[in-house]
Amino acid sequence: MIDHFSLLLSHGLLLLAFVRLLRRPDLDDESAQVQPAARARATAAVSTPAPEPVAAPARARPGKG
Amino acid sequence: MRDIYLLAFLGLFLLFGLRKPFLFTLVYAYIDIVAPQRLSYFLLNSIPISLIVFAGALGGLLVDRGKKDSRFSARQLCMLVLLAYAGYTTITADMPVEALEKWGWVWKALVFAIFLPLTLRTRLRIEALALTLVLSLAALVINGGLKTILSGGGYGALVILVEDNSGLYEGSIISTVAIAVIPLIWWLARHGTIFPSADPKWRPALKVFALSLSFACILIPVGTQARTGLICLAVLYVLSLRFSRYKSLHIGGAALLALAAIPFLPSSFSQRMGTIQNYQQDESASTRLAVWGWTWNYVQDHPGGGGFEAYRQNKVRYELPTTDANGFATGMEVGEREVIDAGRAYHSSYFEMLGEQGFFGLLLWLIIHVGGVWRMEVLRRRYKDSAGDDERWIAPLAQALQNGQLVYLTGSLFVGIAFQPFVYMLVAMQIGLDTYLTRRRKSASFVPIAAQVKRATGRPAAA
Repeated sequence: MIDHFSLLLSHGLLLLAFVRLLRRPDLDDESAQVQPAARARATAAVSTPAPEPVAAPARARPGKG
Repeated sequence: MRDIYLLAFLGLFLLFGLRKPFLFTLVYAYIDIVAPQRLSYFLLNSIPISLIVFAGALGGLLVDRGKKDSRFSARQLCMLVLLAYAGYTTITADMPVEALEKWGWVWKALVFAIFLPLTLRTRLRIEALALTLVLSLAALVINGGLKTILSGGGYGALVILVEDNSGLYEGSIISTVAIAVIPLIWWLARHGTIFPSADPKWRPALKVFALSLSFACILIPVGTQARTGLICLAVLYVLSLRFSRYKSLHIGGAALLALAAIPFLPSSFSQRMGTIQNYQQDESASTRLAVWGWTWNYVQDHPGGGGFEAYRQNKVRYELPTTDANGFATGMEVGEREVIDAGRAYHSSYFEMLGEQGFFGLLLWLIIHVGGVWRMEVLRRRYKDSAGDDERWIAPLAQALQNGQLVYLTGSLFVGIAFQPFVYMLVAMQIGLDTYLTRRRKSASFVPIAAQVKRATGRPAAA
């Protein structure tokens, strides 16, 4: 039981991390980096009516990876 | 059941690798730590999974458009020389069969450590590696931590995931590594962007997870009853005081916590930790001193080392004070008991390197590892006052990697883990961070020149 719990929790988090990495163009190309502050502002600003263009994580560019 | 979901996870990880080939590198690190093939009863244990994933990682580097940004560092060169030298000492080893067996995994660890920094070209890649190391190790640490709480563990009795006493699954090794990784856990909780620490929605969950995982890491030395782990924990604590603003408050708090924890510790743990002081009566500690003496004498005649597993030829003789039937020294003149032992392991990475790879190997090893402490100190000082969002993460990461390295160097005093692959991944991350920052500084100083050309010609500089 403990074995299943520790394996599923750690692997589940790894899976989630990898999925989030797939959506980050700055993994391969730093110039495509979304500024951390802008990203934090964008994700935190639930009350802001008009989110900045950087709010949505940019899709990987065609041909990348 | 376990086989099915491990296979499913691995299959998904590999599919992701097809989309972003750098993920193959992360999956290799995961396989090296968790060793899912060892946890598996069928299928996975019959596939050369490490080889397949490494081929994927290498292919990923070859097709990587940005690989021209990769740099080769002095420490990578040292690892390359160490690899070649270890290959030579394996051919000429005193124990050729056993040496070849150890060489079988050492060369892979070194090759991956040399390869890994070449792939770490972006900040996110460095973070992704840190997260992969921490979460992979979490599989073992959470398991060991929970079992310690529920059963109390025991020396050589705590079974983490699988009854296997090799690699990271060995008690003293997992204790050292679990403590060494704590600073990295907190760096991810404070500066991570994959699970964004700057986002108030994620922050509480990250803090709770980091706290729980650190607690599980601390429980590993308790569960495995490895004395080395306790010493590593003490060293990490002292290191954490270095930048603490309220040192006396921290010392007082920790002392109170330690006192409060004593009633909860298993009595076998307290007894075993008590032997740190009474090492004269402890066979394990006396063996160490005898083996270290043997190694020192051995390298006087064999300064180039005896190759892997050279210790197997040793015969050590030492004396233990006799104790009464209850195991206590009564203070009476009861004499000493002579103990003769053969083929005792080094129980110290320093002596492991000295005995197996000689003075030259030890020197290379020290450059690789102590050099890491020095380079991280240089980076920490250079970036400690950086306040910008794109640089604030650097000094804390250098500090976390430095503390991890110092914990490893402390654990290495008592455990033979000179070629532990996990530690070489930490070293690779240090090198990756170092070369990444060098590149950044160079490109930052390059921009004004490009701008000057633009100004002078009125046209953008040629690409």
